[in-house]
Amino acid sequence: MLHYESTVREPLVNGNKDYHQVTEDIISPIEKKPGKLWWIALGFAVTMLLFGVWSVFWETYWGIGVWGENRTVGWAWDITNFVWWVGIGHAGTLISAILLLFRQGWRTGVNRAAEAMTIFAVLCAGQFPVWHMGRVWLAFFILPYPNSRGPLWVNFNSPLLWDVFAVSTYLTVSILFWYSGLIPDVATIRDRAKKKFAKFFYGLCSFGWRGTAKEWQRLEALGLLLAGLSTPLVLSVHSVVSMDFATSVIPGWHETIFPPYFVAGAIFSGFAMVQTLLILTRKILHLEEYVTLGHIEAMNKIIMLTGGIVAMAYITELFIAWYSNVVYEQGAFWWRILGPYWWAYIILITCNVVSPQLFWFKKLRRNIPFTFVMSIVVNIGMWFERFVIIVLSLYHDYMPSAWVYYSPRWPEVGFYIGTFGLFFTCYLLFAKYFPVIAVWEIRSVLKTSGENYKQKMAALEQKDTEEFLQEVQHEHALAAH
Amino acid sequence: MEERFVIPRRFRNTSLIFISIGVLAFLAGLFGLHGDVGVKRFWSVLVFDSLFFLYISAASLFLYCAASLAQASWHIAYKRVIEAIMVNIPVFAIIAFIVLMAVLIGHKYFIYPWTDPQVLAHDTIVAGKTPFLNVKLFVIFTVIIMLGWSLLSLKLRQISLQEDRAERGVRRFLWKTIFFSAVFIAFYAVTISVSSWHWLMSIAARWYSTMYGWYVFAGSFISLMAIISLFVIAIKNSGQLSLVNKEHLHDLGKFIFAFSIFWTYIWFAQYFLLWYGNIPLESQYFRPQLWGHYRFWFLLDLVINFAVPFLLLMTRDAKRNYTTVTIIALIVFFGHWLDFYLMVMPTVLPTQGVVGWYEIGITLGFVGLMIGLVSRALSRAPLYPVNHPYLKEAIIHKSDWG
Repeated sequence: MLHYESTVREPLVNGNKDYHQVTEDIISPIEKKPGKLWWIALGFAVTMLLFGVWSVFWETYWGIGVWGENRTVGWAWDITNFVWWVGIGHAGTLISAILLLFRQGWRTGVNRAAEAMTIFAVLCAGQFPVWHMGRVWLAFFILPYPNSRGPLWVNFNSPLLWDVFAVSTYLTVSILFWYSGLIPDVATIRDRAKKKFAKFFYGLCSFGWRGTAKEWQRLEALGLLLAGLSTPLVLSVHSVVSMDFATSVIPGWHETIFPPYFVAGAIFSGFAMVQTLLILTRKILHLEEYVTLGHIEAMNKIIMLTGGIVAMAYITELFIAWYSNVVYEQGAFWWRILGPYWWAYIILITCNVVSPQLFWFKKLRRNIPFTFVMSIVVNIGMWFERFVIIVLSLYHDYMPSAWVYYSPRWPEVGFYIGTFGLFFTCYLLFAKYFPVIAVWEIRSVLKTSGENYKQKMAALEQKDTEEFLQEVQHEHALAAH
Repeated sequence: MEERFVIPRRFRNTSLIFISIGVLAFLAGLFGLHGDVGVKRFWSVLVFDSLFFLYISAASLFLYCAASLAQASWHIAYKRVIEAIMVNIPVFAIIAFIVLMAVLIGHKYFIYPWTDPQVLAHDTIVAGKTPFLNVKLFVIFTVIIMLGWSLLSLKLRQISLQEDRAERGVRRFLWKTIFFSAVFIAFYAVTISVSSWHWLMSIAARWYSTMYGWYVFAGSFISLMAIISLFVIAIKNSGQLSLVNKEHLHDLGKFIFAFSIFWTYIWFAQYFLLWYGNIPLESQYFRPQLWGHYRFWFLLDLVINFAVPFLLLMTRDAKRNYTTVTIIALIVFFGHWLDFYLMVMPTVLPTQGVVGWYEIGITLGFVGLMIGLVSRALSRAPLYPVNHPYLKEAIIHKSDWG
């Protein structure tokens, strides 16, 4: 098999690497004791998590009334955070499924961390609708099953129920995807493990993987199958989330563009979160040669693209609200921009539309501190997008006598902070005990895209196209024999 | 490698026959279609057909730019086919421009009701839209959009041909292409929406949908993929384009498959949200389609644009089979033609529209023009971008993991 890739493309793995060195670089941090920084970070994360637990306890004990919601604004921070976290959970599957189908080699450097991030983000998202139920002990009512409650069934016509299915399917497939890819690497850790417990633990986690040809073949077939299944899921989950709003007749919510607009926004924020995490991870674990500037630039391009789609959606909804000539549509956007929450809309536009335009400059796309700051700015913007859509469409509704202003109270804020705690606790544990980069997938692109291998391709690059073609055909003929 | 495209006689003949049919249908329509229904039919078919082919050409420029920006190499083996489609933007733009201007100048109020003084006097909803829906702005935007698309298509083609004449290994043209591609993508993102609002959505002047631009894009893009597949296969059958093999065909099959699902997603999201909300101003748009005269075509549209490619192109073997891909590309192309038909006809002729000799004839005329123009453009340059840095990647390209 001829390994060739145009020398125009920059290497995906820098430095002089062979298969063994790749394993060494990525696995060895797991085998060492965690550093001080890790303990401090974990301490912070667990503290935030505990504060979240306390906030949720308070809310469950006293009831939803402790939150700032009122009769007009029945949905606010809670659902904003839900949509925000689910959105972040989109990057992982996009990278692992859609970029796999599009055969983007650079996904190998970032897919593992992004997939893990996805799962943790969806776990965080799931908390919000569950605890918003108030009487959370009745949560099982949302599951449709023959029950003793007589004719009391879930409402299959409600997008909220579709959400339950959409998000839980997404979580299931994401976990399968992430874990099946993890198995060969876990087996590698097992084989290298010196301590008895580590050997036992990773042995258990690797399901007895031995690395036979048959196993590899099945793993790759499974990967393709799951990619095929989760590609529509990338689109469907946030489409269904958007339908929580768009199926209503509330101006500002009822828009046909919502499904793809939400999906684009989700990928936008998801990639921003991947940047935030990977820029830190590559630095702390010294993985700069695997998560290169090229990877960061590629992700910044996706942020730019999806940011552009989202910007176009903002323009479209604004224009069509005017164009519709429906006074309520026009009113909703009037109050969105010029009402007492004008500052939220300004933040949204600044973070999501204006600032990403700086990525038109290649220098800034490849600038790490700038990318890091932007990744956070984008997620602030995306949080405000959901806040603007949800609260700013509700607070001035059809009846002026019902118009209110909404402010959150501490248990809502605490709950949100708590999910950050949950997220970072999970991520820190993952980064410590599992390889944050897929070793076997890096190996699969090493011979075509590794820096030292690419240097050898100069000869192929020089070769006349005609000659190159003959060589390829000759090799095909040999392979056929 | 310096392969030159020789226009096969079949291409030339088909093109000439189809164009003749188109001209005959046009003349027969001009003199034979009388009365209220006849005149409406005559003009609305010209409007949607000319826009359909203009949007397809623009979609090929979109594909060209998107692939350049993504630094893709899978399409390089038949990049010249994509180029040959996109360089016809000026021709289809001129045709569409003439049709649109004739509609405006000839006061064909049934196409754009917002040009009708009587409608404006009585319908406050339509009257309120006149800051956007007025002849002056319509013409200005149309000119800007058509000029922008045309100039950028010619510019990108020029860069591509310059690369052929330069030395091998020069990368300047790659970066230049990327630069202009970025310019076009940004321009296209705005203009695909604005143009679709003006040219198509405003025909149903009271109605609105934020999804509309996406919908027009999805339909034209999938039609483009069908056309590229048909051209590639036909050229291959004439014994040319030897670099293209089943691996490349597989990609095209994947695109038809995936974007048929994407189109259905966009279709469903738009239809479903309007249906669920059930606000009269919005849902009335679908009335002639769902419950009225167009019910058959409406359902057929869904079956052939979703069910057919979804079920028949699912397997790997189907995507790598020349016959299967040809048949499905033909069906899907017809399906999206029908979809454009449904964007216009149910509004203009809620109870009388047909798919008859005139509709088919005019469309064949456009198809013939497309075949002729693409063949001519293909014959004017080497069949492969000989100096493209990714040509070798295209040679060893593999579409599956097997």
